[in-house]
Amino acid sequence: MGHGPPLLALHRYPGLQRDVAAFVPNFRHPVELKPLRRFRCIRFLNTVLVAPSEAGYSHAVAGHVLSSGSQSALREANSARLLAAVRRFGGITQVELADATGLSPATVSTIVKQLLVAGIVETRTTTRSGRRAQFVTLAHKSGLLIGVHIGSRALRLAVADSRFEVLTSRTLPLPPDHRLDTTLDRAALLTMELVDGLGSTTSEILGMGIGLPAPVHPTRGMILDQGLMKGWADVPIADVMSSRLNTPVAVDNDANLSALGEARFGAARGILDVLYVHASYGTGAGLMIGGEIYRGTRGTAGEIGHTLVDPQGPICRCGSRGCLDTLVGAQALIDSLRISRGPLSLGDVLELASSGDPGCRQVVSDAGAVIGVAVANLAMAFDPQIVIVGGELAQTESIFLEPIRAAVDRRVLISGGSGLEVRQGELGALAPVQGALAMAADLTHIPGGRR
Amino acid sequence: MNAPPLLRMHHISKSFGAVRALVDVDFEVKHHEIVALVGDNAAGKSTLARVIAGVHQPDAGTISLNGERVTLAGTAVAQTRGIATVFQGLALAENLDVTANIFLGRELREHGLLAEERMETLARDYLERLNARIASPRTPVSHLSAGQRQCVAIARTLVGDPQLIVLDEPTASLSVAQTAEVLTHIQSLRSLGLGVVFISHSLTDVRAVADRIDVLRHGRLNGSFRAPHDAYEEIIAAITGATTLRR
Repeated sequence: MGHGPPLLALHRYPGLQRDVAAFVPNFRHPVELKPLRRFRCIRFLNTVLVAPSEAGYSHAVAGHVLSSGSQSALREANSARLLAAVRRFGGITQVELADATGLSPATVSTIVKQLLVAGIVETRTTTRSGRRAQFVTLAHKSGLLIGVHIGSRALRLAVADSRFEVLTSRTLPLPPDHRLDTTLDRAALLTMELVDGLGSTTSEILGMGIGLPAPVHPTRGMILDQGLMKGWADVPIADVMSSRLNTPVAVDNDANLSALGEARFGAARGILDVLYVHASYGTGAGLMIGGEIYRGTRGTAGEIGHTLVDPQGPICRCGSRGCLDTLVGAQALIDSLRISRGPLSLGDVLELASSGDPGCRQVVSDAGAVIGVAVANLAMAFDPQIVIVGGELAQTESIFLEPIRAAVDRRVLISGGSGLEVRQGELGALAPVQGALAMAADLTHIPGGRR
Repeated sequence: MNAPPLLRMHHISKSFGAVRALVDVDFEVKHHEIVALVGDNAAGKSTLARVIAGVHQPDAGTISLNGERVTLAGTAVAQTRGIATVFQGLALAENLDVTANIFLGRELREHGLLAEERMETLARDYLERLNARIASPRTPVSHLSAGQRQCVAIARTLVGDPQLIVLDEPTASLSVAQTAEVLTHIQSLRSLGLGVVFISHSLTDVRAVADRIDVLRHGRLNGSFRAPHDAYEEIIAAITGATTLRR
């Protein structure tokens, strides 16, 4: 700032700009705060101590207290904070926004008006506890897209506008071997509830995409294999869902959708030939060739989880012997830790690995090495420009990715030395949901990704 | 791995007059574990919860916490021992805000006055730890949805560093989105290292988050299942009594 040491040292103690300004000329707070109802000022020699008497705002200003900001930077920071709150809640009234952001109701009102003019948010009048209130949501006049990922142990559902901006989302933990009827019912009810929460109706839904952790037949839109998802085979899932919500629905494999998601919105933006590896409860891959997802004739393209790695290995869910998944599937990882660590969930294993537990670390990195070989073989077969790694196991970052890189570097030699890049996905657990949104948009002929 | 379990109940029996609500029940919860208690109506689920919470005293049997024999002579004793319970009715005060409800009856004081700031900061922290979607810790409870109320009730259990949280039917009468949030909160409690007892009718909800499932039938334990391995049908069979106890 160039004005010598500050007269006022406020560390994580927010004060109102106006009040502090009385003591410190030219003091500008980068983030406007609600007036403190009470505060004490003690002037001691050259230092003014301000003690807040109202808690709760310290989190809002963490880090920036004394950097001076311009008025426009202040406005920007405030509207970013406000938008973050709208995103978190899906829809929220202006009064609640003031509470959630720590901004004054007047500031909230001004920012909402600006965002309204810019077409970023929408408002409508509603009532909260008998009073009139302005209900604020992100703009979605042009319709809603629904992206669903039905995973092995969780259902993720996101409602987005036609520009793929996620308006609201939920994650519902699912039981192992969850049933088709119950899960689809819950997905439909959750959709209705979230759409309701945005102040919209299901008639505004343009389309829905669903990702499943099993190969999906590209033309018949159903799972053909009986063993991978118990009770889900041979059911026209898209039709079932379509009749529940009266909207077009498309279904695809989750690794394929993750590849699509990363290619449209994430780590593989603008890249045409992509090998996406989804390492979760099971392992799968999504292949993008020339900018299009390649599904194969029966939808099983990229199912590396069911390629042979051990001819003497145990029998897999799919019926074959020695599949990759029998070695690196969640159950295999958990079982290999059972004696030393007792029963753990996959989440526990990954959390412990990230926090440095040597046993769990080893299990995850060994899985990376085995998957790396399968990836290297696949990469040799179709020569992608990049390998993107996603799914739960990728959350452990280099613990899992380094062994894959090593395996790929060792195997893919004929590429002339310019090694194949292995990159972590950017979308995390949302990759299949984002891909499902993109697929839903394609279904309704909405022009592609905005970013 | 050989540390004693967080909670161990051994041969617990409880009768109300001629009704034998619990008969010779063994029950165990470890740290970092979600144990579900399922069973039909009047199977004794809530009675067992009340025994853990110190509401009822067992007629027979022993209870130990971290290997130490204890007598949970009342709810206050159970609370100071680190057992927090959310009953079905939630027992929230409608007219008070979220912070006041979280600290109800256990208000923090500074120099004899209510430490409002400290309580609000802590309340915000509890809600954040549970990833709650509640706009402000100063929102009155009467403005909250059923799911948000359940979340406030769960946040309340975090006051005073508990070790074991008992939740009686937390997902009953909730919508799917609210169930999603509550189940996520339950998972958050587990990753905070706490033991959780999750009582429910809904086998779907229970199997989604539980590490172990104990089935009660007519006041007796009728099976204990490792959640990811045992099939739905087996658990149902234990609930209906089609199969009898396997240990």
